[in-house]
Amino acid sequence: MQPSLALRLLTHFILGFCSLVVLLPLLWVLRTSFADKVVAYQLPPEIFFTPTLENYRVILSEMNFGTFFLNSLVISLVSTLLAVVIGALAAYAIDRYQAGGKAMPVIILATQMMPPIVLVIPFFLIFKDIGLTDSHLGLIITYLAFNLPYVVWLLMSFMKRVPRELDEAALIDGCTPFSAFIRIIVPALLPGIGAATILSFVLSWNEFLFALMLSGNESKTLPVAISSLVTQQGTAIGAVSAATILAMLPMAVLYFAMRRFLVSGLNMGAVKG
Amino acid sequence: MTRATPPSSRRDGFSVGFYKLLFMAPTILVLALVVAGPLLYSLWLSLHEYIITYGMGDLIWFENYTLMMSDEFAGVSWVTMKLTVIVVVLEFLIAFGLALLLNQPWLKMRNFYLVVLMLPILMTPVAVALMFRLMFNPNLGIINWVLAQVGIPEQGWFGDPDLALATVVFVDIWNETSLMLIMLYAGLKSLPQDPVEAARIDGASSWQILWHVTLPMLKPVILVTLLIRMITALKSYDLIYMLTQGGPGKVTETISFYAYRLGFRFLDIGQAAAVSFILLAAVVALTVLLLRIMKEN
Repeated sequence: MQPSLALRLLTHFILGFCSLVVLLPLLWVLRTSFADKVVAYQLPPEIFFTPTLENYRVILSEMNFGTFFLNSLVISLVSTLLAVVIGALAAYAIDRYQAGGKAMPVIILATQMMPPIVLVIPFFLIFKDIGLTDSHLGLIITYLAFNLPYVVWLLMSFMKRVPRELDEAALIDGCTPFSAFIRIIVPALLPGIGAATILSFVLSWNEFLFALMLSGNESKTLPVAISSLVTQQGTAIGAVSAATILAMLPMAVLYFAMRRFLVSGLNMGAVKG
Repeated sequence: MTRATPPSSRRDGFSVGFYKLLFMAPTILVLALVVAGPLLYSLWLSLHEYIITYGMGDLIWFENYTLMMSDEFAGVSWVTMKLTVIVVVLEFLIAFGLALLLNQPWLKMRNFYLVVLMLPILMTPVAVALMFRLMFNPNLGIINWVLAQVGIPEQGWFGDPDLALATVVFVDIWNETSLMLIMLYAGLKSLPQDPVEAARIDGASSWQILWHVTLPMLKPVILVTLLIRMITALKSYDLIYMLTQGGPGKVTETISFYAYRLGFRFLDIGQAAAVSFILLAAVVALTVLLLRIMKEN
């Protein structure tokens, strides 16, 4: 049943308007990141100008953003890898063997309700005492602990869709629980592992408060480096824009690689109905 | 119903209990060492006089918590409450409206809208904040220029005590609405279509169907979405730090930022820890309350 033309136009108007609100700021920053100093400050703004990579050169070579990018990448990837491996084992034990009883999933999730400010205070002191301040390892451990609950919960929900008969058959055939996990569960769980990897990576990549308090020159992550641009270079619009784009880059790549998957995942209910 | 426990393995002679422990140990170890341990340590800190430069002082029990009675604490609590309620309500209304529109079966370009509207969810909050700081800059920003073209006078945005909170709310909405949209849209998609069809055949209008059929069925999803968003809103810190640092004056200072300022600007770890625990208590209380409401439904 088609509604009236006016109603359809109104719907597209609202959705189009919201899409513009989302897109315009992003396009504006993208544009500014390619502008030279004169163009970046010009009002009324110049729409057509010769783009320059100067801003990117400045932040990458003079401000060391390449290193910060790498720091972010290493810390996010390693903590994600650990969280997924450890989390998959826990999700398996909880779903198949009721490890820790009924309360276990709730306890694990409860650790994630905590406001980060509650933990950053003791972390700051403990890290100073044991010498983990300004190290990659310190942030890796921190993010591992923060992402683990999400990973366990996500993988538990995927685990429920893997038929029990599969791994029970493997056990009866003489597999140990561990080899059943490796041979049966992990392959069946791959979509869930993919989703958990992305979630954990995104959370680590975007984390700010702990990186701000616990990192220094050696381990500074991209969000912290960007935040320091505000005070140092309050008005270096071009450099700030380039840094902003740089921080969004892996997320954008991830997003467009995953776009089809995300949208089809969301629309799945429609196919069913 | 009890499920048969999987047979214990025979090949290696270890019991199922051993494997349970083996699989759970890393998770428990990490959460105990990195979350539970520091949490207890922080509770201990909050009971002490502790200035960073002097080290840990006397055990003063709950004296740090008397800060709760101060006007300053009342102020930041009020800001936190205002900000949380405003962003959760507005983001919910926008997200729900958009989810309903996106769920219309005749809608064209649905995937385009979905892809665009989901975009902000992946953005680094720090980068988002910076982006809007540039655009809301009173002298150099594009927003004041655009408004000037239609005759609206120059605004101070983050620097204007009357506008700062509203501007923060706008950035928060831009950044966070996608998450609610995804949850609500997924919830709508997973609803059974039969009751809706039945109501339509019985001659119910679209509004009646929405109010009497869709909404009641979607209630659990709505409650979970609100719960999650409320907790993350209470926790949030990045945007305030990047956008306003609590200013101008204290009009955008939340409890999280206040605790940060006490601890790392005034170096008073004891009071900072106490304030953070008050926030934690509020989050826990709210969660328990909402879970109870959910159970009753």
